[in-house]
Amino acid sequence: MIPVQLRLGHLYPREMNLYGDRGNILALVRRAQRRGISLEVVEIGLGDSSTSLLSSCSGFFMGGGQDLDQGNVAEDLISRKGPGLVAAVSAGKPLLAVCAGFQLLGTHYLTAAGTRIPGLGLLPLHTEAGRRRLVGNLMVATDPALGLRDPILVGFENHSGRTILHQGLRPLGRVMHGGGNDGDSGQEGAWQGSVVATYLHGPLLPKNPSLSDWWLRTAAGGHPLENLDDSLEDAARKEAMALGARPTRMSRWRLLGRGLVVRKGS
Amino acid sequence: MPRPARQGGGSRAGVAGRKLRLRAAVVLGKATGGMSRRLRLGGGTTLPGDVARWVDPGVLRAMAGSVRAGTVLVTGTNGKTSTAALLRTILAESGKVVGGNPSGSNLIFGLTAAALTLSDSQGRIDRDWLVLEVDELSAPQAVAEIRPQGLVVLNAFRDQLDRSFEVDQIAERLATATSTLPDGGFWVGNADDPRVAAMAGETTAAGTRRILFGLSAGGRDHLPAVSDASGCPRCRGEMEFRVVFYAHCGLYKCPHCGFQRPQPQVVASQVNLAGLDSVELTLSGSEDGSEGWSVPARVRLGGLFSAANVAAAAAAASAMGVSPHQIASGISAFEPAFGRFQVMPWKGVPIRLMLAKNPAGLEENLTAALELDRSPVIAIGLNDLIADGRDVSWIWDVEMERLRESRPVTLVVCGRRAHELALRLAYAGVPQDRVVVLQSARAALDAVAAMASPLIPVPALMTYTAMLEWHQLLGGGGGGGKGGRA
Repeated sequence: MIPVQLRLGHLYPREMNLYGDRGNILALVRRAQRRGISLEVVEIGLGDSSTSLLSSCSGFFMGGGQDLDQGNVAEDLISRKGPGLVAAVSAGKPLLAVCAGFQLLGTHYLTAAGTRIPGLGLLPLHTEAGRRRLVGNLMVATDPALGLRDPILVGFENHSGRTILHQGLRPLGRVMHGGGNDGDSGQEGAWQGSVVATYLHGPLLPKNPSLSDWWLRTAAGGHPLENLDDSLEDAARKEAMALGARPTRMSRWRLLGRGLVVRKGS
Repeated sequence: MPRPARQGGGSRAGVAGRKLRLRAAVVLGKATGGMSRRLRLGGGTTLPGDVARWVDPGVLRAMAGSVRAGTVLVTGTNGKTSTAALLRTILAESGKVVGGNPSGSNLIFGLTAAALTLSDSQGRIDRDWLVLEVDELSAPQAVAEIRPQGLVVLNAFRDQLDRSFEVDQIAERLATATSTLPDGGFWVGNADDPRVAAMAGETTAAGTRRILFGLSAGGRDHLPAVSDASGCPRCRGEMEFRVVFYAHCGLYKCPHCGFQRPQPQVVASQVNLAGLDSVELTLSGSEDGSEGWSVPARVRLGGLFSAANVAAAAAAASAMGVSPHQIASGISAFEPAFGRFQVMPWKGVPIRLMLAKNPAGLEENLTAALELDRSPVIAIGLNDLIADGRDVSWIWDVEMERLRESRPVTLVVCGRRAHELALRLAYAGVPQDRVVVLQSARAALDAVAAMASPLIPVPALMTYTAMLEWHQLLGGGGGGGKGGRA
């Protein structure tokens, strides 16, 4: 039986909402609703620390923020949310972290001045300040092991941090177009168990329904979900892919090498 | 290309050399402008600036320095073009000879190009005043080069984040421009925008006259769902808003550090919004200790944010010595600027172009179109070219949900990212039978014309290049050109 009631813990909705992150919450709520599941959104902000609040959630989302906000948030995340969040994801509850949220899950962030800002340490990765910002359309072929129905994700990135995955941590996928974690390795994001982190920022879920469904499925304890009519979502996806994020020839070869077929303009 | 070596020193040969270089820069720049217009390479709004600055990097400073009374810069995220145009009209009505950059080309190259078209071959500008709108990020450089008499700071919203990055950085640039104003000038700032108001106390130089403007009006009792400025600019604590006029501008107070909205010296009150066609208001001013003034005025713009722009222009004009009476008559003589409430017909149906290029702009224009207007159709255009901002994430921060409860309208969505917009509307719960998706501007215009009334202008809320395209189709020619915004 699929549970009819799920709770989404939205971490730091006030501080981490720079690029239309609200769209992600909307996408999860709406896709749950269309399947007869009610998804209650619980806002978890600075200072909130009750363990029962965190353990009552079926899964979590954390968006991107400005630099100033990130300092406040890092401290709060480690001291007040850490244990509860670690327990929840160990129990298989999904956590989707975007951009600054992605960086906060690592061991630390090294600023340009050499200051080390500690992160939650949930994933074995760290981020270093980069000189040039990576800004632009980003297209990713996700790790087949994650099992997304549609393995290609599309969106936008805007970050100056370069994220380095430590030994053994799998990237979320390979960059088809754009910069990704460091603009160089071809790696984008990271995933481990029920934690997915990515530089695809802002409203990535409306346009990537298969990732929304991954979150919902994981939050529902792995129960398969019925398919929905995604014609509006697909139109927006196609538009984004065709206009902004055509895979470069190089990455197309790379993908062919990995056995992923990429159709032109789709 | 290597730049010709700079001549230094104050010797007579040096002075002559500098003059020669300035003349060469002006002549070459002007020639480039003429050529690019003749070859229809565009409006000639930035390239001449590039060429002239390559020949003489000091060309803008020299040209601006020749303006008789001085230059006033208008900056901020939204309202620059309208406010600068208002100020120019007020000055012209008061008998001054004024120049500016009405094309909206507001990066440093665009400012140089605008100055070139106004200058003679010696680099002299025969004007009493120059009123230039300046991009927020270019404001510090513009202040350093031009040494303006005045600076008007309208607001700091999130705008095209793939270009400007973060709101804090925009505010920082505006603060830098503010703190580097030359002595003896004036600074006009928005008391209703906490980030701008905070600059008044801290960063203006001691020899600068500070004038705050603001609204005295009703408004909403809450901030938009996603706001840029719920945090106090002083202590980062959560602020309380008693009234919200538009975006994050209103009457605020920080319960943590006590920072609150300062009392503005120039106020727009008794604001009466008559559809999208005009705003009636009373402007009043009082400077520390002096006798106050008050005049009624009417402007051909729409929405509460337009009243704020009028107050900003009035505050600047008053600082420049224009009488209240002349300010009011200048405001009523004002004609809407390029693509800002400009009405143009398509197949007999009037279309009202309204630039909406960021969350605050779209939010406020949409509210105005729904609440003040009666058009059964509203067009929204979303492009993702460099001048629009390539990241369209921001549309998810606009409270489209209000369309569910508003009066029923058909939405014609168009542009390169029309489907993204349609998806946003669907997720906001707008019924699908009220949304028409047409990527092409021409098809969208035809659809709009078929559905609209010939008596009520159709609000067309457009990002920058989408607006340009409509403006062209509507017979407005090329218009501006924000070239080089990357």
